[in-house]
Amino acid sequence: MEHISFYLGSVSSLSASNINHKTGDLAVSVQNLGLTYTTAIDRRPTLKARVKSLGRGTKQTRVVQALDNVNLDVTYGQVLGVIGTNGAGKSSLMRTIAGIIPPTKGRIEVFGSVSTLLALGIGFNPAMSGRANVHLGGLAAGMTRKEIEDHFDEIAEFSELGDAIDAPMRTYSSGMYARLGFSVAATVQPDILIVDEALSTGDAHFKEKSFNKIKELRSEDRALILVSHAMATLREICNDVAWLHKGKLVTRGNPNQVIDEYQDFLHLGKSSAIDEDL
Amino acid sequence: MSTPLQVYEPFRAGLPPLRKYWRSLWSRRTFISEYSRSELREQHFDSIFGQLWLILNPLMLSAVYFLLIVIIGGSGGAIRYGHLTASLFLFYLVSNSLSGGVKSVTAGQRLILNTAFPRMMLPISATVIAFFKFIPTLLVFMIMRTVLGLPFGWEMLWSIPIILITLIFSLGVAILISTVNVYFRDIASFLPYLIRTLLYLSPILYEASALKPELRVLEHFNPLFSILESWSLSIVHAQTPQLSSMLAATGWALGVLLIGTYFFLSREREFAVRL
Repeated sequence: MEHISFYLGSVSSLSASNINHKTGDLAVSVQNLGLTYTTAIDRRPTLKARVKSLGRGTKQTRVVQALDNVNLDVTYGQVLGVIGTNGAGKSSLMRTIAGIIPPTKGRIEVFGSVSTLLALGIGFNPAMSGRANVHLGGLAAGMTRKEIEDHFDEIAEFSELGDAIDAPMRTYSSGMYARLGFSVAATVQPDILIVDEALSTGDAHFKEKSFNKIKELRSEDRALILVSHAMATLREICNDVAWLHKGKLVTRGNPNQVIDEYQDFLHLGKSSAIDEDL
Repeated sequence: MSTPLQVYEPFRAGLPPLRKYWRSLWSRRTFISEYSRSELREQHFDSIFGQLWLILNPLMLSAVYFLLIVIIGGSGGAIRYGHLTASLFLFYLVSNSLSGGVKSVTAGQRLILNTAFPRMMLPISATVIAFFKFIPTLLVFMIMRTVLGLPFGWEMLWSIPIILITLIFSLGVAILISTVNVYFRDIASFLPYLIRTLLYLSPILYEASALKPELRVLEHFNPLFSILESWSLSIVHAQTPQLSSMLAATGWALGVLLIGTYFFLSREREFAVRL
């Protein structure tokens, strides 16, 4: 399917695609997706450690089978919640859809611009100001300077950072990081918004605000994919839920049904503890 | 059915689709310029004193080395001092690119884990930054060689292709070392030794022509040798560099860039899971 990549006028993933999407149009199509990767066992692998362990036969790397034959279509107008235990492959799935990790098997087709807010949010260079980081993050994602300028005031205002926007990001609290990250992802008006675990950060006020923003972003011509452990939130926002377990798609369908099934599976019942953030 | 905007498939032969990769790299050039500029601002090189430090540092270093040369019995003189300074300035371009490039990928962790973009932007930015730091030192040398009364001539224009070759080489080593650092995070601490060794093996403290014939083999193992030899001939002596040195320098630079790029691209897919 080489011709498809030639078709791309601009390869930027975030600049407006100028296509009007209708409800029911395909936004993301994940076909037979498999992802296997090798990662270092040491969090910080060093040459020194490697030399010292020479001849000992200790393993330096671990192979992770993150996703296995996942098929998933997301259409415009859909708000898809993705649930699953830790290590189920939720973040891996989001990263492959966003094009951050190429798949090992299968194929992903994305029909629109994607904005991601994955677990870490922004803050590329902590020594630089929030403003500089927003600019750099946007440019890296393929936005033009003008597009960023156009959105910047809105981002700054939504994040409620005030003057701190010009302070180095290393002076930020984790909540401030999260607020800025969420503001960027939610403000750039993407066709497809991917949010990974970011709704449960920040204080109660900002949580409420971001929750409302997500609700506001639900629209006919947009697809939202939310990864969260906050079941009550997902029940309220989503119109579709997919449950991943050990890299495989278990079920997908009506939010209440799938979440009930998932909670039964966890043997936890509907305790309020898992209905809220975990 | 409409055509997808993006398609992600497994890489063929371990490399990303190259045409698409270059196109997307080119479309991100504003990132490279913006990043280099804010990084320089961050290091205060936008201020007068910051720039002054940029020049003072290699200048003082060249003064110290000159002292050393004179004391251990070498000859002094304007040419010698000019050679030392000019060579150190160019050497700093390579060494800054190396030391800036080594952590470029690992420091970009947050961006790499969160955004899809051609990762090669990061080491490229490191080389661009090193080049921006090199420009003022070049101006200083031009003033200095006038004061020292070094010969002028059209042959000095050879220094332009030499700078280009050095840039290609610097980019190659930055790309290469940034990849290695993902797998061995302590490479940065070995770097000073590597740079020191390169400094002594290159014709900086001595002139290439003054080297004993049996030591001329260095030329074949040190990529910087032919680059610096040609550099000194053109910009200090105002002479035409030897064709063989120029060819060797170009060969080394392109070779290192090619190998580095291949290594980087074949590993890039793993960066997001290795960081």
